[in-house]
Amino acid sequence: MPFDPHFIARLIPALLEGAEVTVELAVLTMAICLVWGLLVALANGVRGPLGWIAGGYIQLVRNTPLLIQLYLVYFGFSMAGFGLSGFASGLLALCAQNGGYVAEIYRGGLQSVSTRQFEAGRALGMRRWTLYTAVILPQVVARVIPPLTNQSIAIIKDTSQVAAIAVMEIMKITEVWVETSANTYDVFLGAALIYLALTSIAGLVGKLAERRLAFAQ
Amino acid sequence: MNEFAPLIHNFWYLLRGATMTVLMATSSVVPATILGVLLALLNIFGGRLMRSAMLGYLFLIRGIPLLVLLTFVYYLMPLTGIDLPPFWGVVLVISLYYAAFISEVFRAGILSLPQAQWDAALSLGMTRGLMLQIVILPQAMRLAAPPYVSLCVSLVKATSLVSIVGLWELTMASREVVERTLAPFQIFIGAAAIYFSICYALALYGRYLERRVLLGH
Repeated sequence: MPFDPHFIARLIPALLEGAEVTVELAVLTMAICLVWGLLVALANGVRGPLGWIAGGYIQLVRNTPLLIQLYLVYFGFSMAGFGLSGFASGLLALCAQNGGYVAEIYRGGLQSVSTRQFEAGRALGMRRWTLYTAVILPQVVARVIPPLTNQSIAIIKDTSQVAAIAVMEIMKITEVWVETSANTYDVFLGAALIYLALTSIAGLVGKLAERRLAFAQ
Repeated sequence: MNEFAPLIHNFWYLLRGATMTVLMATSSVVPATILGVLLALLNIFGGRLMRSAMLGYLFLIRGIPLLVLLTFVYYLMPLTGIDLPPFWGVVLVISLYYAAFISEVFRAGILSLPQAQWDAALSLGMTRGLMLQIVILPQAMRLAAPPYVSLCVSLVKATSLVSIVGLWELTMASREVVERTLAPFQIFIGAAAIYFSICYALALYGRYLERRVLLGH
């Protein structure tokens, strides 16, 4: 029977427990990717083998499904002798894939700054460090925040795929509860509402960051 | 190369899975594109009611993971007694999901045309239909093409999720082979390579289109 208050009272804590895992995964992934993506983007800018490796990595992770990467890490690594837990495999695969996307966001941000900005800075006799910290990076930050916000929303949604390797996040808990209670509507409505809340919060944080940090426009 | 024998022996099976992936992706991308363009036009030229309906639709699609919707439909179909083959069920969900993103891409393409184009067409006395057909849409399509192609890449990757609800395609085929051969590392790398060749070819085409857009300006 849909919308049974007793059932909902038991369902909400279970879903929130899953939401905790989802949030942990998403926040850790985003934090790691902000750094990892920057490293990859910097390596990609270097001429020579390091640049090729970084470029190859970006294309590889962006053009294969996350689910295959998850299986590769979870099942493949345990076969190779060093098994990781579901959570660790999920985190590793999420970071591998989204690191490629974040690196491309950084690259796009840097490329969108006009070369005239570099020339003007140099013409004023700025040192490299001053040029980057005072002129270029503020503009890059302003331009990467909106796509980074979108990426964080995509990461929250991507965490649902970790259910495929039995991590008890929202999606897996939804499946378990639907199978055991047969109360399809309530459980899916609850899961959808939590995902909508989480992605809305990520969007709001992005908007706030944009207002605070994007002073250079 | 003895370690890769399981992959070599089962490569044809994986390729058959890949044809199913391609079939599923193309069956979804056609209705998604038609619906996406229609929604973009409705969003721009429709009234306030239409626009708020589109905002609501986009909010839902942007905030809920595709996997949640796919599993919801999977559990829903027996409940409602809708007798749709599972293949068309997932094609429907994927199309509706990607139509929202495609509509945003086309809307951005249409709105980023300079006002002068609209004014010029109006001052020549064109009707709205003619203006759209020979002035606005051809240019908007060219602008929207590169992000549209990257959405297509994302759609191909998203078809891997249908393996979770039990449909047979490349990811499901590779899981079956892994269960038989117990060689997850090799098989999933093979599957990733097939996905990569499909998606990277699309991505290269997108990059070619992007260069053409830049040349046109």
